[in-house]
Amino acid sequence: MKQTSLTQAHRDLKAKMADFAGYEMPIQYAGVKAEVEAVRNNIGVFDVSHMGEFFVEGKDAITFVDYILTNDFAGAQTGKAVYSPLCREDGTVVDDLIAYKLADEKIMICVNAANIEKDWSWISSKTDGFDISLTNKSDDYSLLAIQGPKTEKVLASLGFESVTNAQYYSAYESEWSGCDVIMARTGYTGEDGFEIFGGHETIKKLWSQLLNADVTPCGLASRDVLRLEVCYPLYGHELNDELTPLDAALKWTVKLKKEKFIGKEALDGLTSKYRLVKLSIDKGIPREGYPILNEQDEVIGKVTSGTMSVTNSQGICLGLVQRERFPENKKFKIQIRKNIIDTNYHTKPFVSGGHK
Amino acid sequence: MNNIPTELKYTKEHEWVKAEGDIVTVGITDFAQNSLGDIVFVELPEVGQEFSKDDTFGVVESIKSASDLYLPVSGVVTEVNEELPDAPDSLNSDPYDSWMVKVKMTNQDELSDLLSNEDYESLCQE
Repeated sequence: MKQTSLTQAHRDLKAKMADFAGYEMPIQYAGVKAEVEAVRNNIGVFDVSHMGEFFVEGKDAITFVDYILTNDFAGAQTGKAVYSPLCREDGTVVDDLIAYKLADEKIMICVNAANIEKDWSWISSKTDGFDISLTNKSDDYSLLAIQGPKTEKVLASLGFESVTNAQYYSAYESEWSGCDVIMARTGYTGEDGFEIFGGHETIKKLWSQLLNADVTPCGLASRDVLRLEVCYPLYGHELNDELTPLDAALKWTVKLKKEKFIGKEALDGLTSKYRLVKLSIDKGIPREGYPILNEQDEVIGKVTSGTMSVTNSQGICLGLVQRERFPENKKFKIQIRKNIIDTNYHTKPFVSGGHK
Repeated sequence: MNNIPTELKYTKEHEWVKAEGDIVTVGITDFAQNSLGDIVFVELPEVGQEFSKDDTFGVVESIKSASDLYLPVSGVVTEVNEELPDAPDSLNSDPYDSWMVKVKMTNQDELSDLLSNEDYESLCQE
């Protein structure tokens, strides 16, 4: 199993560790509840060094990244980050990722840990005709996600002066403690926060200083609760190799007005096979794979991610429902073991979050 | 270090069992609650329900996952801890006070299949 630069630090903190995408990662420290509450109300830090970092550099860097992504990357200002699916020609999703426009000829792409090899193979097969260099620096970078309303204040106190002026979804190269870092006001919790990419020793030092500043160490279990409370999709759950971005309610990330991008022809005029629903229940917890039923108790879909919302104290889930069987009355039930339970249908995320 | 009271019996599925005459009281162990993490939901049977040994009699759920509860003996449920569904976190703080069900056994020989505290401790260390 691969380790991050912080694996020993997690063990020293007695974190529960588990295999995650081939990496030994912390699942939780003191407890999921305390970690979720820290991020929503205060500040928490996640070691997400298992994520992958690719760099696209050269004259055609922007044109190339715009071509492989469905979202509008060319139109984004320098110094901005863009969330986007990475699609095949048939419109199915290879991965979802964030591309950071650090300079006009320097772009960093951050991909899901489980998809590093698949993404690398896909992206590097599409470079013909572009004047770029593409490098996989996933093993060279460690990454911390610092999230929560107090993030700006704490990072400023640790010497990150630039954070005060950084906009939401901005990304830029900087220095901290004499070392190069990449700063991004992005995250996966719905709260304000930064993701800081740096060399292993730099990030180890930052981790220690954050903990000394009473930042709560958080594991992947609380990260999953936080992202689900704000209804962010996760590859392997709401997105996978068989689905298009339209199936996962990500039409807003598919910019058909762009002249060309991989998957454009397939996605243009396509109707999604599924509709993503947000459901909560008053008693019990919907789990991934549980059947979603209509008012007549017919199975019309399934839960793709489910958990107990720590913030709302209720069972919450995302699910995919067959488009052609989507009930007009929006009444859904979920089968939990032998019981069929009524649900509440939500049009907005379960928690509004607090990002800038 | 796990808390494993000497006066109780245990199952491989991490339930504790207290036998008094032909009545057994069943809960989950300190090891189980620690492995599950924050417990947020408990589903228990009704009084009068009859189960065979190893039947699923309920479910305990943490934020992360759902785990079935297995009854270590055959019998009829005589009492259910009604307070538990409203305070599932008490399983984290007091696993041995937070009993789940009391069952009138139909075959007391099944008690001999349970683990002693020493055997259970060995199991937890594996």
